Amino acid sequence: MSNAAVSVSAEEAALNQAFLEERKERGTRYIQRHSRQARVTHGITVISCILLCISGLFVFVPALAQAIGADAVFAIRMSHRVLGLVFVIVPLVSAIAAPKGVKHIFKNLFDTWDSDDKKWMILFFPYLFMAKWIHMPDQREVKSGQRFADGMLWLFGAEMGITGILLLLQATVVDFGATAHGVFIFLHDVGFLMIAVFGLAHIFLGGGIFQPYRGTWRLMFGNGKVSESDALYHWGHWAREEIASGEHVTEEK
Amino acid sequence: MADKAILYDSSKCTACKGCQVACKCWNDLPSPTGKNENVFSGSYQNPPDINGITRMIITLEEHDAPEGSLKPVAWAFNRRSCKHCADAGCVRVCPSGALSHDEETGFVRLERSKCIGCQYCSSACPFDVPRYEESGPLSQRTTVEKCTGCLDRVAEGMAPACVSTCQPNALRFGDRDEMIALAHERVAYLKERGFSDACVYGETEMGGLHVISVLKYGVEKHGEVVSPKMSPTVAMQEVMKPVTAIGTGLTVAGLAAMFALGVGYKRRTLAYNPDTQDTIDVNTGEVVKHGDGQDELSVKEHILENLPLGKGGRHE
Repeated sequence: MSNAAVSVSAEEAALNQAFLEERKERGTRYIQRHSRQARVTHGITVISCILLCISGLFVFVPALAQAIGADAVFAIRMSHRVLGLVFVIVPLVSAIAAPKGVKHIFKNLFDTWDSDDKKWMILFFPYLFMAKWIHMPDQREVKSGQRFADGMLWLFGAEMGITGILLLLQATVVDFGATAHGVFIFLHDVGFLMIAVFGLAHIFLGGGIFQPYRGTWRLMFGNGKVSESDALYHWGHWAREEIASGEHVTEEK
Repeated sequence: MADKAILYDSSKCTACKGCQVACKCWNDLPSPTGKNENVFSGSYQNPPDINGITRMIITLEEHDAPEGSLKPVAWAFNRRSCKHCADAGCVRVCPSGALSHDEETGFVRLERSKCIGCQYCSSACPFDVPRYEESGPLSQRTTVEKCTGCLDRVAEGMAPACVSTCQPNALRFGDRDEMIALAHERVAYLKERGFSDACVYGETEMGGLHVISVLKYGVEKHGEVVSPKMSPTVAMQEVMKPVTAIGTGLTVAGLAAMFALGVGYKRRTLAYNPDTQDTIDVNTGEVVKHGDGQDELSVKEHILENLPLGKGGRHE
């Protein structure tokens, strides 16, 4: 939204003043954004993903593999397989347990882009370097850039899971042939690059390291609630809709 | 020391498999000796292929004999094992350093103690050579196995075990240039004798092999790989390492710059009054937006709106 003040009638200003007074008494409003199941699934996936990246590095970077020796790398490779299974199975089980949630996620991911979405996406890169000065257009439940970045994480997370399982099968029970094996390794490497880039950006923003996103870590690693002010800043259209309905809104002093 | 090579002459080989036995003996490799542990494959070739405990075999390709021949079958023998490529895909993809080039001989050195069992080498070899010895209760630990060129023997001035045992002199060992010259001499001789498809294999393939073969009946008839090529996935895998390092490095640098430029960022506290549909700055009471319509500013206006160009900007 713009930085410029909007002039309102004296009557409306009085109503707003009364609203602010009442708000002071009642405390801060919070909107429940993520369910416990979503947070637990996200938490397990994030931890397994980070450990997978670290353990994968010991095969991907020859200097690391050679530094710690074959036995240590072998143990790390076996842990990589176990973590890989966790990374694949936990989201699948969660999805089966909450199909409506999955539908909701993908509905948001593939939602149509309105004017604010397009403008937000164009402004995103300048905003990352000029957050003090650029005010972003309001967004619905999932920002347009978030849809793109989350989509990349979903896509390459799935790609890593599938190629990881194919590599595991190749190493144990199925011979797909040398070329297919090489292609699986290459795709797994590409997935690693994309997960590294989008994952780092996701941690930077979602973890609240970036100053305008301070406190957003609580959405997935806290109680799943977002304050009214933060919600209006990040997802203005969604926040107004939620506050007006009051369904997921709580007040805390 | 000049590059070394093993010369295999299929026209002299009798497929006695003495070399197979010598390889097993010198390298202390086991063989299944229990009753019916070796299943008959329908061929004299035994075992059917190299495996986790067999580094080399003599292959027996069976062909129809030329018309008028006294024997109904023509055998094309070959020595199947690591070819010790100068441009070895296995060495390029091995992350642990278990496979490397021996600087003295040019052979592909194997240090099994360094193998992490990733099996990347199997995807990089055009000759389908690397095999794996399985261990552990679930056979979960795999360790690469392949011909080492008996570097331990070579270092002591001896020929590889397979060469030293070959009765008909089908296997020779020496400087690579010398072996290539001998191979050409032999091929010329064979061609004179009517074997028009006879050829030298390994002189230029994969940057030059360190196992040079004289193939009496031509490449295909001996079951050898015609024009072996490095799998494109080797280069693709190699390029991903620097690309990932650069991509990740740039991402971290970019994020650090964003963080540095964001120091001192502040924004106002907002609240929404659903009755008036006003979004209000809690501290000043200013209405910053009425209703929930789409943004009306252009992208340029968004960028320039609060830039400190003389008047000073405000944080949202």
